[in-house]
Amino acid sequence: MSLKTFAAISVGSFELTMKIYEFSGKNTIREIDCLSQRIDLGSETYATGKLSQEKLDELCRTLEEYRQVMKAYKVDAFRAYGTSALRETRNTLIVLDQIAQRTGIEVKILSNSEQRFLDYKSIASKGESFRRIIEEKTAIVDIGGGSIQISLFDNDALTSTQNLRLGVLRLQEMLTHLNAGRDQTEQLVDELAGAQLSVYKKLYLKDQEIRNIIVVDDYISPWAIRRAGNDPDKATVAPEDFDELMELLHTGNMKASRELGIAEEKVPLVTISAVLARRIARIMGAKKMWAPGVTLCDGMAYEYAEEIKMFRGEHDFEKDIIACAQNISKRFQGSRKRAETLERIATTIFDSTKKLHGLGKRERLYLQIAATLHDCGKYISLVDIGETSYNIIMATEIVGFSHLEREIVASVVRYNHSDFVYSGYSGGVSGGYPGRENYLVIAKLTAILRLANSLDRSHKQKLKGLKAQLTDQELILMVETQEDVTLEKGYFDLSAEFFQEVFSVVPVLKTKKNI
Amino acid sequence: MAGKESDRTEKKNVGKTSTGTGSSPAGAKAGKTGKRAGRPAGKTTGKEPGKVSDKVPEKAQEKTALPQEKKPDYRNPEYYENRELSWLLFDHRILGEARDRKNPLFERLKFLSITASNLDEFFMVRVASIKDMVNAGYEKRDIAGMTPAQQLKEIGKATHELVELQYSTWGRSLYPQLEKDGFHIVLSHELLSKEEGDFVDRYFQENVYPVLTPMAVDSSRPFPLIRNKSLNIGAMVRKKSKEGELEFVTVQVPSVLSRVVELPVQGEEKKRVILLEEVIERNMPRLFLNYDIVCAHPFRIMRNADLTIEEEEAADLLKEIEKQIRKRQWGECIRLEVEQGMDKRLLKILKKELSIEEGYIFEIDGPLDLTVLMKIYGLEGFEKYKAAKYEPQPVPELPAGCDIFEKIREGDILLHHPYQSFTPVVEFIRQASVDPQVLAIKQTLYRVSGNSPIIAALAQAAENGKQVTALVELKARFDEENNIVWARMLEKAGCHVIYGLVGLKTHSKITLVVRREENGIKRYVHLGTGNYNDATAKLYTDMGLLTCSETIGEDATAVFNMLSGYSEPLFWNKLTLAPLWLKDKFLYLIGRERQYALEGRKAHIIAKMNSLSDPDVIAALYEASAAGVKIELIVRGICCLRVGIPGVSENITVRSLVGNFLEHSRIFYFENDEHPEVYCASSDWMPRNLERRVEILFPVDSPRLQEELRHILDVQLSDTLKASELKPDGTYEKVDRRGRKAVLAQDVFCREAVEKAKAAAPAKPGDRRTFIPKTHH
Repeated sequence: MSLKTFAAISVGSFELTMKIYEFSGKNTIREIDCLSQRIDLGSETYATGKLSQEKLDELCRTLEEYRQVMKAYKVDAFRAYGTSALRETRNTLIVLDQIAQRTGIEVKILSNSEQRFLDYKSIASKGESFRRIIEEKTAIVDIGGGSIQISLFDNDALTSTQNLRLGVLRLQEMLTHLNAGRDQTEQLVDELAGAQLSVYKKLYLKDQEIRNIIVVDDYISPWAIRRAGNDPDKATVAPEDFDELMELLHTGNMKASRELGIAEEKVPLVTISAVLARRIARIMGAKKMWAPGVTLCDGMAYEYAEEIKMFRGEHDFEKDIIACAQNISKRFQGSRKRAETLERIATTIFDSTKKLHGLGKRERLYLQIAATLHDCGKYISLVDIGETSYNIIMATEIVGFSHLEREIVASVVRYNHSDFVYSGYSGGVSGGYPGRENYLVIAKLTAILRLANSLDRSHKQKLKGLKAQLTDQELILMVETQEDVTLEKGYFDLSAEFFQEVFSVVPVLKTKKNI
Repeated sequence: MAGKESDRTEKKNVGKTSTGTGSSPAGAKAGKTGKRAGRPAGKTTGKEPGKVSDKVPEKAQEKTALPQEKKPDYRNPEYYENRELSWLLFDHRILGEARDRKNPLFERLKFLSITASNLDEFFMVRVASIKDMVNAGYEKRDIAGMTPAQQLKEIGKATHELVELQYSTWGRSLYPQLEKDGFHIVLSHELLSKEEGDFVDRYFQENVYPVLTPMAVDSSRPFPLIRNKSLNIGAMVRKKSKEGELEFVTVQVPSVLSRVVELPVQGEEKKRVILLEEVIERNMPRLFLNYDIVCAHPFRIMRNADLTIEEEEAADLLKEIEKQIRKRQWGECIRLEVEQGMDKRLLKILKKELSIEEGYIFEIDGPLDLTVLMKIYGLEGFEKYKAAKYEPQPVPELPAGCDIFEKIREGDILLHHPYQSFTPVVEFIRQASVDPQVLAIKQTLYRVSGNSPIIAALAQAAENGKQVTALVELKARFDEENNIVWARMLEKAGCHVIYGLVGLKTHSKITLVVRREENGIKRYVHLGTGNYNDATAKLYTDMGLLTCSETIGEDATAVFNMLSGYSEPLFWNKLTLAPLWLKDKFLYLIGRERQYALEGRKAHIIAKMNSLSDPDVIAALYEASAAGVKIELIVRGICCLRVGIPGVSENITVRSLVGNFLEHSRIFYFENDEHPEVYCASSDWMPRNLERRVEILFPVDSPRLQEELRHILDVQLSDTLKASELKPDGTYEKVDRRGRKAVLAQDVFCREAVEKAKAAAPAKPGDRRTFIPKTHH
């Protein structure tokens, strides 16, 4: 049987975790080992913005130990991801370089949306339990050290996701700053969270009631799982059960730590998490919360197993990313119909020109998202749509996209409206572009989107039945229409110029009148 | 083997034999193995009542109302026995075996020797710590309501009685019997013949003299360090010139030489020996030339040997422990044993210089340090006076030369030592060390034997490129030095040696072997109730489980991660660990039986362990008993629970087994309303196990193996020869055999192991059944 062993390392705000997984041909991901060491990076970076030498040494020492364990398991591959604490460090690059030099482990920093997306994947790895729960209106509340992420589902599809800076370590840091006593924790956390959550409710929830909440965290989950007789699939609690937890937490750190089966120093963080979770449950009107105890590492394993085709998940994550983009478009008054037309035309061109561009599935997704968000900036300004769209996209989370990916999409949208900014060879990867490869991706996708955009310039979906054919010299686009397409043809010629420049192929538009 | 629970390096410093007339027997009532020491009555500690019910499932709690009458206060000190006095009763039970004429003579010597080494340890650790409490003005009462000062007083009384009984057993029974059977111990050098005298003088000159360091005390030379547990000869000397005052001199009986010196045998005599201190005493004038020896007497001291290690502050635990071990030699003197009739001037000096109180001086009517009897036991010959040597049997499921991993995959394997051989455990690690599929081996080591094959296999595995993690518990009392040596050796071989968690001793016995097999990573686990010590595995009764259960494997991985300092897992599948969860688990299991009893469902607890002293567990047992649960306890040593208290412990029986093998296994049976749950553990029901150590409780789930364990318990409960029962007055009595057949549990297990091994052994050619065809005429 074909087997692969994989190590996932998560450099979190409070803990450094490594899980070892085994993938088999049976479409199974099996966790073999889990090592977790408390290294409180968050408190330091949230307060000072930097990681001290002492913490860096501790981090490297533990990573070195992890490397030895990986060696013992003879892992085939590993990935190490850093989250908010490393992300928000001012000396990130130096820290990452130090880690790589000293341990040979390259740590990649995840953007918030990437991190949440992996967390989300880890829940989806729960299979049937996950599918069942998201059939109803459900929120995923991902409580991290630096922030929390609330993602809403409706009818099996992700409808929105929002990040709030209410992470447990950040709140604890605030409480320390406020010199808050133990007995004030509950009230202060409630107040701090309450204000932001009320705004969130107005913007995203409005009147809809969320029935279920899925909690991803390190603090409430152990409690919920223990209550469920150590069965993560049944780790469901009702909001009123939190009263029982709060009562236990009031008995003191030592007893609570014993009863909860967690380290004593984690008890204050459980308190903050519990207050947050209870408050969120109340605001949403949720009836039950499921805390399956999944972690970022599980999501990393899921992602890697999918990549090497050792696992095929049932949930369609691309659908979520698209749904998320559609919701952003909706929020900024984008036309759904127009976006759909543009997406259809653009992907038809993309698919027929694979030989030319050599891009893959992921880039196709960028194009789809760019088409969906192509005019979101007009909500701000009708004059400078390219620039405002770019700014909106860069300021809005698209779950599952890294910062870089978001920038690619935002740039494609920008240059769909404004002049393309070239980057010369002498300029290397500068010119505002994130790397040579990405520069070319942006250029290619922009060329396709512009061409597609020109074919619906009037926003009236005049052209039907688009067919594309690629020859050595030309890309022939055949469309059917009964309407006057002068405008489209005019813009097509303009866009064709850039397309030809990028691909060395002349786009030709052939229209056929429908009878 | 009865009551000494370690494989420490053999004691080399032993005591003295005197005229052997013995003192009158003290303390022992007919048929009883111990007298319960007095205890102040009526003290209450006002502790909260047991919290067992907290752990019972809520639903069950709602269903059944508690009895309406007032619940007894299960924490009432009157319901508890003091642990030290209970321990002394245990030593009395071992002494009972030394006194039992039905036992072979040399076995009786061994039992007596064990009582002596037990008592040494008791002083060095328990008495020392209570004395520390008294010195610190600590007055908190124990579970039996006694203050440290009261305990010390009672312990003093009881130990004096025990020592008297030891020496009366020696002098009145064992020594004369040895003489009768041809083993002559020359108790005083004055009794040597001329030839023997010449022999020992030559022996002294050639072997002893070079290693002696005589020490004198005067104004320029301070009183020397008398090492802990060492045997010494103190003497008063005066210059031959008759000038000056009497001077004190001392010489340590060297522990590097055997204390038993064999004399040339003449005529029909079978064996004659003399003790080393007599040889030295005879030659004292050679050590102090120009002096007259006015008097010379052996003495022995015991020091506070409890280590105080500031682990948090210790930069290098290994070095810190080495430092503390050296300090042990300087601990406060807590016992002085002197030869009866010691010169008063000599005794006065010792008392003053060692700052020892009267109550801690033991005037011994016989040889000091009876652990020397173990040496005598070990001498060749006299086999007919020893119990027949039992050879641990092969395990039927694991025939010699088998692939142990393949066999484990066929099903869990239960090992019962010493009836069954410990070789499979060694083989498990040895095979892993050379198996190319093995990725890692992880093991906890608490006490290992000298020249341990397990250590060798681990080192070999590391050299073969496996990841080897060995947790060496440096704080295993009195084995600290040994373990430091092992730790360094393993490190040198490339093993990753860890020392466990700060403030906790790692007492659990677990081995994990990780293999990469065709179907993925597979984990093989050995869990045991006893140490990974091939030497003691021949003497201690223990259980072991070999399994490749996925859930136990996951837990085992998590155990080692925790011990390496990583966080605990989100949850445990099967194993329960102390100090965080084990007590709660036991309280839950006891509470559940209680609840079933209240509901009229089947409830029964059988628990076998070495000691029972945890007040929470005892209170839970009382509560369960009061609810009608039948509780049968097999507790080898300390038992702070009292039986037969009306309304409290009427349903509880306690028995203690003291036999040739040291009872060491911990087995726990819970009826669970006809769905029995059976567990084994490395832990006793003592606060130190449940609160201050890393211990593991593991379930045995296979119905076949559960039956085996239940059988083991049942046989022990039916023992009528070596079992003593705890009586409501706190004494132990041998079980009443009237109308019951003679059962000796340890013999039953020996026999069964032999039969099983025989049944599983491949038939020899001669055993083959052959059918001979009839010949036609």
